[in-house]
Amino acid sequence: NSSHICHNGGIYKRPFKESFEETPMLVAVLTYMGYGILTLFGYLRDFLREWKIEKCHNATEREEQKDFVPLYQDFENFYTRNLYMRIRDSWNRPICSVPGAKFDILERVSYDYNWTFKYTGRIVNDVINMGSYNYLGFAENSGVCADAAAEMTLKYGVGVCSTRREIGNLDKHEELEKLVAKFLGVEASMAFGMGFATNSMNIPALVGKGCLILSDELNHASLVLGARLSGATIRVFKHNNMQSLEKLLKDAIVHGQPRTHRPWKKILILVEGIYSMEGSIVHLPDIIALKKKYKAYLYLDEAHSIGALGPTGRGVVEYFGLDPRDVDIMMGTFTKSFGAAGGYIGGTKELVDYLRTHSHSAVYATSMSPPVVEQIITSMKCIMGEDGTTLGQERVQQLAENTRYFRRKLQEMGFIIYGNDDSPVVPMMLYMPAKIGAFGREMLKRNIGVVVVGFPATPIIESRARFCVSAAHTKEMLDTALNVINEVGDLLQLKYSRHRLVPLLDRPFDETTYEENED
Amino acid sequence: MGLRSAWKQMSWLYYQYLLITALYMLEPWERTVFNSLLISVAGMAVYTGYVFMPQHIMAILHY
Repeated sequence: NSSHICHNGGIYKRPFKESFEETPMLVAVLTYMGYGILTLFGYLRDFLREWKIEKCHNATEREEQKDFVPLYQDFENFYTRNLYMRIRDSWNRPICSVPGAKFDILERVSYDYNWTFKYTGRIVNDVINMGSYNYLGFAENSGVCADAAAEMTLKYGVGVCSTRREIGNLDKHEELEKLVAKFLGVEASMAFGMGFATNSMNIPALVGKGCLILSDELNHASLVLGARLSGATIRVFKHNNMQSLEKLLKDAIVHGQPRTHRPWKKILILVEGIYSMEGSIVHLPDIIALKKKYKAYLYLDEAHSIGALGPTGRGVVEYFGLDPRDVDIMMGTFTKSFGAAGGYIGGTKELVDYLRTHSHSAVYATSMSPPVVEQIITSMKCIMGEDGTTLGQERVQQLAENTRYFRRKLQEMGFIIYGNDDSPVVPMMLYMPAKIGAFGREMLKRNIGVVVVGFPATPIIESRARFCVSAAHTKEMLDTALNVINEVGDLLQLKYSRHRLVPLLDRPFDETTYEENED
Repeated sequence: MGLRSAWKQMSWLYYQYLLITALYMLEPWERTVFNSLLISVAGMAVYTGYVFMPQHIMAILHY
């Protein structure tokens, strides 16, 4: 029932089922029409606000600044005032309990169409959580991890009050780093206090001017920020498309740097393990083959895939049965599967020693807080089985089962679901702008908390609801959630799928790499 | 009984209309503006058709 891996040969031998069904033409036309109507009404409202017929709630320039260059005229501000504000109650919901499988929400009401909110004082209890990145269910306030973290608070306190380089290097940090290195199968690792800062502060330490970064189209903002801060040349290849990547690599090797045609100092390929907006898994065997052929370096961001993929939860490298030493820099976060905060980078000892001295995050950022470190240590030992129980292994298997079940049921119901069959991130397409707000509200009415995403995190017509399956969900909870989703899907007419599953577009199906199995 | 289920069906259809045209997100006065514009344009089209269709059909048949 869990992900089977062939242990001979190491190349993934199961059919790699990833699908991104095409947007139906009628739905696309109606979505554009909906956005057109909203834009027209947006212009009308802006006109009324400008001529003071209507009260203006949002930020505008002061009278003295009216002759300066206008600040709020770009599309982003127009979108925020006129489209985002109208359905703003689906986001930033205040949660007042631990975000486990079920949580409590403070009820809010707005009397001026979402410009201001008031709390009614009521708490909505036991809302099923389909939005938290709680893949292995370690976000809990009782149990071994929470007790260990509490003990650590009593022993070390909460604040460290210094950076790693100065006097904030606790023995717990060293223990954590050794444990992470053992978990991943690499020589050494280093842990940082913030996952976003791990990416954005360490990529500038690794590459600089005269280097080339090849980054995937749909990379996370932290990777993009890190790449831009480094000052290297950035070239983007189509999402998960190996032909596009190979073409860029060939061009880079043949032509070299733009004007001087000297060879690039370093070529770094930036990819993620699971892309959280699409639910797709990176084609790691292909990338490693390309990297070895063209002598490039690989930076793998396993923010969502660590703990969630692979038979023992070691991430996407184990999922494909590959050698962790092939990936030069393995980065990941502790926020998702481990229920804590922070990020890590793993690799060879030389790499990690270099980062300890040259990374901005290591030199200037305060080190991780002790209870957080203890939470990671306990949860990692639990996953590895070192605490003597099989709880970690059971959770990994439960997650794989839950993922398969949830995805299969949603696809049978007729929704358009993006991504790989094994990824615990399940994006369900909504498309129309009104359905974004309606879906969030209707699900909350029926006691399910979901995350809906629209522009600018996704392309303008491809708005979606993103479910995150967790090992803490029991089958009953998933069944309840699925029934509710079915009901809301019928009410809002969300079942767009025509069951014509197209394998990943722009990628010719390569029979030689992935063999079809009949199991 | 039939009237109640017909009323339910009509209100579900109106809900779908609101979702597809994104009127669901607009305030009630905006919905009134849009609906009145739509009904007046549709009404004008129907009236024009009612006035001119017989003449057009007779002209086609006489040709």
